[in-house]
Amino acid sequence: MEKMDNEKFFYAENISGGYGKNKVIDDISFSLNKNSLTAVIGANGCGKTTLLKFIANLLKHEGSCYLKGERLEGLSGRRISQMISYIPQKSGISISLPVREIVLMGFNPVLKMLERPNKKHFAAAQNALETVGIGELYDRDFLTLSEGQKQLVFLARTLVEDSSLLLLDEPDSALDFKNRYHILSILKDMVEKGDRAGLLCLHDPALALEFCTQLILIKGGKCIDVIDKNKDSLEKMNEAFKNIYDRISLSKCTDSKGKEHIAVLWEGKA
Amino acid sequence: MTDKKSIGKIIFIISVILISEFVISLFIGQYPLEIRNLLSGDRQSWRVFMTLRLPRTCMAVMGGFGLGAAGMVYQTVFRNPLASPDIIGVASGASAGAAFAILFLPASAFFVTLSAFAGSVIAVVTALVLASAASGNDKTSMVLSGIAVHALAQTALMALKITADPEKQLASIEYWIMGSLNAITIKKLPSVAVVLSVSLVAVFILYRQVLLLSADEEEAALLGVSVGKMRAAVLLLATLMVSSVISVTGLISFVGLLAPHSARLITRDNRMPTFVCSGIIGACILTAADMFARGVFSGELPLSIFTSLLGAPFLLYLLMRKDGKNG
Repeated sequence: MEKMDNEKFFYAENISGGYGKNKVIDDISFSLNKNSLTAVIGANGCGKTTLLKFIANLLKHEGSCYLKGERLEGLSGRRISQMISYIPQKSGISISLPVREIVLMGFNPVLKMLERPNKKHFAAAQNALETVGIGELYDRDFLTLSEGQKQLVFLARTLVEDSSLLLLDEPDSALDFKNRYHILSILKDMVEKGDRAGLLCLHDPALALEFCTQLILIKGGKCIDVIDKNKDSLEKMNEAFKNIYDRISLSKCTDSKGKEHIAVLWEGKA
Repeated sequence: MTDKKSIGKIIFIISVILISEFVISLFIGQYPLEIRNLLSGDRQSWRVFMTLRLPRTCMAVMGGFGLGAAGMVYQTVFRNPLASPDIIGVASGASAGAAFAILFLPASAFFVTLSAFAGSVIAVVTALVLASAASGNDKTSMVLSGIAVHALAQTALMALKITADPEKQLASIEYWIMGSLNAITIKKLPSVAVVLSVSLVAVFILYRQVLLLSADEEEAALLGVSVGKMRAAVLLLATLMVSSVISVTGLISFVGLLAPHSARLITRDNRMPTFVCSGIIGACILTAADMFARGVFSGELPLSIFTSLLGAPFLLYLLMRKDGKNG
């Protein structure tokens, strides 16, 4: 079995597990391509966050995940932290720290216990902040930032981490309309430029269809469908979405610049 | 956020305050001490200076620094501005230990210190073990097991108090709980200094990890921190700092809670310099409190009265100042 799927950048095989006897994820398998974003879509409580935690090896589970040919289960926490970055829904950091310090945390997986960040690290942090467009926040107190700015700081931190797999748990949940699109387009850019892939839980199917090439649909802990945006027909996507959202329909439309998008229309209660 | 230069300035100013307190404190007390007499080599003055004043003042500075610094660690790791050493049973463990020694061990300050130190360390280790048995690295289970241990230690203390002889033993227990630097001798200083500096240095080295523990557990784990182990290690170090101090002085309230808040309000930051500030401010508060404790009346008053009495208005002042600036 091993190495069979060697060309795949990341793949997960038969992931199952939960809390105690309560099974939250039931036999999910999928793969991620390099340089692309994949969305995990599903209602609240369907197991999206748990799935991310399984992949990051934060919780015990059955099945295996392979990243660039390496099996993640059985690796040390430190090694995993070098390969995977995680961006939480909302920051847990609740103490005043300069923004640069938050970004520098991204070097922790590679720094030795007694090592301190040096000039190169500081320069890289500044660079990363400029890449995501908030270079001027370098010295600001992290706690005084807006949620959108905080997410951008996390993206900058992810940049300096330079890991292969980015996991994001509803990165859009605390953001306004403009910031959602802004942050996801920066994320998409990051993933397309580096040696990496991204997996994110999203609530908004429109957002997922706009930025992700692959959509994994989850219901009751099971993967009920996988959509490939570039290959699947609109009809197929429609059918797949109806299993989760009942009465919605997708429709293609073009924006003022002539670019094609997929719109998500809600058709009212059944 | 304060830049490097102004943080340096802040540390300089509070250090000057501390040093002046230190000098003043040497000359306050029942026996009137004058520099003139010391310079002329008056033996009685020198004896008072060396056996009473100097050890006591040194202990106030060291103890305050330890309590302030440890308080900062607790608040950061628990991500709770109200976290104090007692959230995981340090103080109640020490009290129970001290009471045990007063009742059952030979009457000697050495045994009380040893037993109080053991009591607080046992309490914290129990809390840590219970928490890890409950579930991997959950912060809530840490707090809850701490509360449970705290309650148990309180119960033990109560039981010990009931069996105590109300005239002598009960009074000693109560007096110990109120805290005092009255009984500090030069002999007691080295062991405190050693434990304190070793754990301080260790926390300095681990400080980057302490800050990472202020993030969510998953976030910290994927930033390369082995959360459960690191949290236990850091808490144990902070506990050693507190235990080494209060096992000698008795309980000292409020310094560990107040010093970090004050430091943060001044620097608006949480990095290493703020940690140092927290220690220095703790030392300032305790030294000042001890001066009042022995200077206000002809007799000795409990320390904790003054740590609260001095600390609370100071904290309120800083809070008001902050509001003024932000609003």
